[in-house]
Amino acid sequence: MNDYVSPVGQGIPRLETRDKITGRAVYADDMSRPDMLVGVIVPSPHAHARITGYDVSAALALDGVAAVVTGVDIGDHKIGPFVKDETALAVGKVRYMGEPVAAVAAVDLETARQAARLIDISYEELPAVFDTDAATAADAPALHEGFADYIKVFEADSDRNAMAIIEIVEGDVDAAWERCAAIVEGSYETQAQCHTYMEPCSALAEIDSNGKITIWSSNQSVFHVQSFVADSLGLPMSKLRCVTPQVGGAFGGKMEQTVQPAAAALARATGRPVKVTLSREQDFEMIRSRHPGKVWMKTGAAADGTLLAREVRIVLDAGAYADDSPGVAGIAALFCRGPYRIENVSIESRPVYTNKLRSGAFRGFGGPQVAIAGETQIDEIADRLGMDPIDLRLKNVVLPGEEWMIGVALNKAGLSECLERVRAACGWDAKRKAVSNGSGRKRGIGLACIPHISGVLTSGAIVRILEDGTAVLNTGAVDNGQGSDTVLVQICAAALGLEVDQVSVATPDTDGSPYNWGTTASRVTYMAGRAVVAAAEDAVAQLKQRAAVMMECAEEDLELRDGGRIGIKGVPEAEIGFRDISGFSHWVAGGPVIGTNSLAYDGPDFDPKRGYLKGFPFGKIGAWIFAAQAVEVEVDEATGRIVPLKVWSAHDIGKAINPTAVEGQIQGGIVQGLGYALCEEMVWDSGRLANPSLMDYKIPGIMDVPPEIDTMLVEDPDEHGPFGAKGVGEPPIVGIAPAISNAVAHATGTRLRRLPMTPERVLRALRG
Amino acid sequence: MEFHGPSTVDEAVSLLAADEDARCLAGGATLVAMMNADLVMPSALVSLRHIAALGGIAADAGGGLRIGAMTTHREVADAAGLDGAHALISETARAIGHPAIRNMGTIGGSIGHGDPQADYPAALVALDASVELRGPDGARAVPAQDFFVDYLETALQPGELITAVTLPPSPAGGFGAYEKFARVEGDYATVSVAAAVAMEAGRCRYVRVALGSCGPIPVRAEDAEARLAGTALADEDVAAAAAVLRDACDPVDDVRGSGEYRMMLVEPLLGRALRAAAAKGGAR
Repeated sequence: MNDYVSPVGQGIPRLETRDKITGRAVYADDMSRPDMLVGVIVPSPHAHARITGYDVSAALALDGVAAVVTGVDIGDHKIGPFVKDETALAVGKVRYMGEPVAAVAAVDLETARQAARLIDISYEELPAVFDTDAATAADAPALHEGFADYIKVFEADSDRNAMAIIEIVEGDVDAAWERCAAIVEGSYETQAQCHTYMEPCSALAEIDSNGKITIWSSNQSVFHVQSFVADSLGLPMSKLRCVTPQVGGAFGGKMEQTVQPAAAALARATGRPVKVTLSREQDFEMIRSRHPGKVWMKTGAAADGTLLAREVRIVLDAGAYADDSPGVAGIAALFCRGPYRIENVSIESRPVYTNKLRSGAFRGFGGPQVAIAGETQIDEIADRLGMDPIDLRLKNVVLPGEEWMIGVALNKAGLSECLERVRAACGWDAKRKAVSNGSGRKRGIGLACIPHISGVLTSGAIVRILEDGTAVLNTGAVDNGQGSDTVLVQICAAALGLEVDQVSVATPDTDGSPYNWGTTASRVTYMAGRAVVAAAEDAVAQLKQRAAVMMECAEEDLELRDGGRIGIKGVPEAEIGFRDISGFSHWVAGGPVIGTNSLAYDGPDFDPKRGYLKGFPFGKIGAWIFAAQAVEVEVDEATGRIVPLKVWSAHDIGKAINPTAVEGQIQGGIVQGLGYALCEEMVWDSGRLANPSLMDYKIPGIMDVPPEIDTMLVEDPDEHGPFGAKGVGEPPIVGIAPAISNAVAHATGTRLRRLPMTPERVLRALRG
Repeated sequence: MEFHGPSTVDEAVSLLAADEDARCLAGGATLVAMMNADLVMPSALVSLRHIAALGGIAADAGGGLRIGAMTTHREVADAAGLDGAHALISETARAIGHPAIRNMGTIGGSIGHGDPQADYPAALVALDASVELRGPDGARAVPAQDFFVDYLETALQPGELITAVTLPPSPAGGFGAYEKFARVEGDYATVSVAAAVAMEAGRCRYVRVALGSCGPIPVRAEDAEARLAGTALADEDVAAAAAVLRDACDPVDDVRGSGEYRMMLVEPLLGRALRAAAAKGGAR
């Protein structure tokens, strides 16, 4: 077996690719159960109103309708990952247009939709606020009168509709400004972006005669589904089994509750299986978006380019419910310094309630809102000082062994190499010197750096050796389409010395899988991957223990050999295959080999002596990852259109377990970043979402993407990561907008501070 | 809701005439989406799919062109032998939506919806096209310019359906160009310009221009065309014609752009359309 090649580092096709391409992959909405009903959710028609009464009699009288449930039926069971402030169906009040108020189950979709129209709910409208300025005004209505009594998982000050005030202070910015030779200051505005996953939210719930409910749904964590459905319906978690079929994208939008509580409530009310799948329009109006942000930032540097101070005020529009807002606001605060050594910082970040769709987790998680400010200010500083923007960055970037703000140690930091790789690949020095001609289409190139983290919280893995010596891996980690099942199998196979097709991967199932917090925070490869390596090592130790009995030698004398064998060190011919060991374990002695591991992120913590930190809602936050991205653009001065010509993207990833999948992640993030930079924007007309469809809300299509995206993988193995790997899911989206803004400034001299950079905004800016 | 699949135009007309809440189903690209959004709830659908007489593209002896109402965008986009200004209709079809929409959507369905953001209306006006209609009282032809009456409103009367679009012979030496500006590929136009031009010795001998997405119906201004006639389509000629056209525009503010921005686009897009059309003549 000398020809064994470790699966780690191989760009193999993803395991589910064939099923997806041929249409065989099963998503939640593809599923059907005997006697199944179809559920439809009734949305609030008001942005802010008190519910004064329900009349569901006409709906119930309709032939084919099985049940209607409202907030009265499910009860006032509050949920929320940071602040328990919402119920699965509105209780007492509605706080945004589109909020679920009731749900109906009927024999088919047409009947259910007809019944939904017959549900008569009376409201008393209340004054509403649609932006953060209005929501923080002295006379603004309080969205959550009971906020003080809500359960919260972190400690922070709050101020009226500002649900949290997060502060990070180090050094003394006021004293530092005097030492600055260049200071730039500006206000930046970013928009709500829709996750626009291909698969709208869907859940199928079925109840058995013991009252146990099984839920198949599109999600980012079966364990999270189990937890919030239990909380929202007041059920013990043992009465819920949560499973995941294929997921058609999530990007943060399916981490918290979607339609699972409503489906479960309807199954409980009817005793029959109920499937709820949102239309695209309802998905837009009902679920969540990226936070719109308003950022004021000031940055100063010494004459030699040393960055000395940065002051930041961040206000995020959280919408009607907290959801992940305190977390997003905290991460925005943590990342807004940028990946630079700046000794004096003063940062404040506030998520604010408004009467709009809740904002939540979205790839980048607070990073994109502050990157447009931070990374364009770096270019403005470079411009003032007459320095090249990459030279200025290289002078200031954080280096391995240094600390982030508030004292988190950086074990590895490959940003300098990312910058050098991008600089060389894109022909930066020549292109920056080129002067645009006056033909009406001007070219420019710009760059941005991205800091992010990969890790957080807890994961586990179980590796069982089957009777024939092959293995089954169970992590409970949901593959959202990014390829984690494939990567985790590659890690497991490599750790066992097996081939990929000798390792099966179990479907996430709360009844049988080990806990995994979620497919989020760029963490599955890093955290679940670590658990997989450790569980595989545990399995190998057990295999050695059995083999020692079989071979009558000491365990310490045994070694794992490629191809699924255990042998005696120094004696090549003395070895036994996994099949024989596993047969012995199953039928003779020792028992089946079941390797397990569970872990919590255990990296460096904050240092309270180093700076002032208040209201930050996370503990240990994961391994640091970095990236540098450059975009070359052409700006049409007659129409204002920005055409991205090529993107270069270098990522500090530790080690690529599957280089093809990594490149796919990077390319996908870049395209989503192009949408964020150039065209995607959810627009509200007072409380009504004006563009809740793919006809009016536009994501980039294949023709809008540059023909070439040059991805570069910087591999400096992380000491704890599985085979040295770190995550890559989020950074690729973050740098695109600031890189484009910098490129437009290079091409035209005009600085854009509002996203998306639509042709109209560009043209108006060009015309001053 | 009832579903009918007649095989003749007369049968379809009588079904439509008998039920004012019935709707024709052509490609369904727009109608089905509107039904899904509860924006229209027809009592019956009259599918035109099985009416052979509504398909096909045919040239007449005089050089005119007849495009059956059920001709898909893809068929128009791929049609061979559309010469001179007629090629504008293929160029326009290629700019509609994306492949899935072009495979399903039809020219009759598109113009029957009367959406000024759609691509065909401006092109048909620039080409001096006519729309053939059939109703309980027989057949009639309406010039494209008069067919579009208001936002989502056409000259179609109850019980009538569109049977074809006809184009007059291409003007001698004429070429067309469709300049579409959209947020992303496949979106409705923020502004579009359809131009048909014939150049002679560097001067514009014939010109027709229509704008899409600039008002409730395609915008045409004969004064603008008169201003361009006889010129070399220099910047100042385009600017002057654009100013005349802008006076005829009444664009809305929506997610694709403000009305003001649409007005800002008229001049550059008009210049590009005219020059692209003129260049095709030069390149021949």
